[in-house]
Amino acid sequence: MPRWIIHAAVLLLTIGATLGTGRAESRLAMSWPVDIGPLNPHLYSPNQMFAQAMVYEPLVKYQADGTLAPWLAERWTISDDGRVYTFTLRKDVTFSNGEPFDAAAVVANFGAALANLPRHAWLELANQIRKVEAVDDGTVRLTLDDPYYPILQELALPRPFRFIAPSQFVNGGTVDGIVAPIGTGPWVLAESHLGENYVFRRNPTYWGDQPTYDSVDVKIIPDPNSRAIALETGDIDLVYGAEGPVSPDTFARFQAMGALTTAMSAPLETQMVAMNSQQGPTADRAVRRAINHAVDKDTMIETVLYGTQTRADFLFAPNVPYADIGLTPYAYDPAKAVALLEEAGWHLEPGRKVRSRDGEPLVIELCFVGNDALAKSISEVLQAELSKVGIGITLVGEEASSIYARQRDGRFGMIFNRTWGAPYDPHAFVSSMRTPAHADYQAQLGLADKAEIDAAIGAALISTDAEERQAIYRQILTRLHDAAIYLPLTYVSAIAVARPEVEAVSFGAIASEIPFDRFRPATQ
Amino acid sequence: MLGFIVRRVLLLPPMLLGASLVIFLLLRLGPSDPAMDYLRLSRVPPTAEALEAARALLGLDRPIADQYVDWLWNAVHLDFGVSYALQRPVLPDLLYFLPATLQLAGVALLLTLTISIPLGVWAARHRDGWPDQLVRVIAFFGVSMPNFWLGFLLILLFSVHLGWLPAMGRGGVAHILMPAVAISLMSLSINARLLRASMLEVAGQRHVTYARLRGLSAGKVERTHILRNALLPIITATGMHIGELIGGTLIIEAVFGWPGIGRYAVSAIFNRDYPVVQCFTLLMVAIFVVCNLIVDIVYAWADPRIRMSASGMR
Repeated sequence: MPRWIIHAAVLLLTIGATLGTGRAESRLAMSWPVDIGPLNPHLYSPNQMFAQAMVYEPLVKYQADGTLAPWLAERWTISDDGRVYTFTLRKDVTFSNGEPFDAAAVVANFGAALANLPRHAWLELANQIRKVEAVDDGTVRLTLDDPYYPILQELALPRPFRFIAPSQFVNGGTVDGIVAPIGTGPWVLAESHLGENYVFRRNPTYWGDQPTYDSVDVKIIPDPNSRAIALETGDIDLVYGAEGPVSPDTFARFQAMGALTTAMSAPLETQMVAMNSQQGPTADRAVRRAINHAVDKDTMIETVLYGTQTRADFLFAPNVPYADIGLTPYAYDPAKAVALLEEAGWHLEPGRKVRSRDGEPLVIELCFVGNDALAKSISEVLQAELSKVGIGITLVGEEASSIYARQRDGRFGMIFNRTWGAPYDPHAFVSSMRTPAHADYQAQLGLADKAEIDAAIGAALISTDAEERQAIYRQILTRLHDAAIYLPLTYVSAIAVARPEVEAVSFGAIASEIPFDRFRPATQ
Repeated sequence: MLGFIVRRVLLLPPMLLGASLVIFLLLRLGPSDPAMDYLRLSRVPPTAEALEAARALLGLDRPIADQYVDWLWNAVHLDFGVSYALQRPVLPDLLYFLPATLQLAGVALLLTLTISIPLGVWAARHRDGWPDQLVRVIAFFGVSMPNFWLGFLLILLFSVHLGWLPAMGRGGVAHILMPAVAISLMSLSINARLLRASMLEVAGQRHVTYARLRGLSAGKVERTHILRNALLPIITATGMHIGELIGGTLIIEAVFGWPGIGRYAVSAIFNRDYPVVQCFTLLMVAIFVVCNLIVDIVYAWADPRIRMSASGMR
């Protein structure tokens, strides 16, 4: 072989190799406990919200401060009676397969979602929509039955009102499935390996800012300990989530190690215990107030949760819209708890550990999901704390669906519960207090003015005046706080742990979204 | 022998039918409501209407007998329904995950046999000497240590500290080594101890003494007169170990991120995913029965007494 051919080949190979390494693909590997599902934008489980939100976008985007920003709709107008919303769509948006995103696509998607109305009936917006029509190519008009104010919040949800290219419909809709997950979002699903991993690539035709990472590799790792190990060995770069992606003690260990970046989001939702006002000792307001004074939440957070959550004094954290109303917390004060109980006639007979009144012992059933290790630990702390003031707690740990059944039909003294997080809080959560299927409804049923509270909630939801709405929310939340229906425990934050290869990790405004487009690899 | 096999195979369908009925009823007799789990997974508030809709969607609003007959009819046609949680047909997914599990369990079985037999022989040969004590200690740890914990310890040493082996995923030999060891250590320990005891017992029998008296070499006596006879209980034990190994695989898959049937099944059990649990359990029953059949055949082949008595009885 002539020597020059060899030289040329070596030269070409060198150039090729240099080019190849000059622009190495940046890939972010993170873990998720379950497969992400077929990514149907209009359906629920097994579709994972974070993944749906990577591919599909809303008309309006929920912001961290509770306001809504233009997104696929660049602006909108609301009629004076609050019933007609007119959205002007962005003109530069296409689906990732090149199809135009226009009024026809929006109307088709609303139609596809609403064809399955019973599945969305829990969402008031779905019930409120009377019609959706295309005014012209770039304008969509939404007409509602009532002036339901949280329309925009609910349009911002990860599902079901987001948009897939209509060419991907099956049988003219999405109820029977989709052809492929083609959205307008910053990411495109590129590879699926059931039970192993899913790779999302940057959408090269994305209308907004391009993400910094070229791809996101979602690895399916169900076990939190294995996830922690995968992070340590570099199999993944990031763990992220509000559902305990790693256990609190592991998070604390990572924090102490220093080699990994750890972060906690602002409060996303509240973990509390609802107390039954219609039966048992908790029907007595004095008992509910005493319980609120008797629990040392700070120590509990320090010891059981390793500081991964923050103390909750109220049903909603002050960063929730309409919830910063300056209520006075029930401070940790066991002496006050004892005084309240004595005053209400719950006395400690000599030689007894549990108080009683007229022969009725002060014993309360605390219900939690039995295989939730954290809930179990917290329950044990509550049991110990309350026994100090003479309140007996019977721990009832059952499987998840039994606990949900108890929430629904009111078979509890105290029961664990969570608010739903942004953007459902506060409107969708207080709205659900009117539904008998919820622990909140059951817990509040013993309140003399339950009907008035429900009426006030209804009024808040269709109030068109922001100040009036704030006043009604103040009234509702103050009433519930005074009645001590809840024992707020902690404000739950999302946590993130990243390897040094990841520079910036931030949190989304909606608990179920992960803002991958804002994450950056560390500069070498 | 052939009649023996045919009879055992013919027993399989009624066994599966019985198992399917028991599984079907047991699942539905419990207090839990899969519709509730379905809504919980979907993060849809469980209003009465939503529950109603979910039950109708999952076909749980019909009488149990109807549900069973429908399910059975479809199952006979190899249609095991659609997973509640994943909304995908069950059988193709199970078959998709099954090879990974069988691979892991198979390698674990191989490890069990290839390590336990030499260990057992070694221990028996040096009865009460240091090799025997060493095997005793290994077996003690192997039997007492939960496999998932051993899995984590192995990962800690070989992946986190030494960085020699990958901590998770399915790939080459390096990937399968740690999970297979973690699963097989228990069966391996039991087998080694069992073989040692069995060999010492056989070594004291008259035919061995006679063989020695005939002047056969120690090696030959050990191989043909002791080991062959001593292996019989090992064959029985191996039949039971297969269940243990597959059971161990289900847990270990979660630890090592091994994309097998275990993770699929365990999450289905947590989520009350009836179609998956039903199909999975039946599949496991079938695998167990077939494996035990194979063990029985091997046993009959290895021990002429059984072969003879089986044919003599008919």
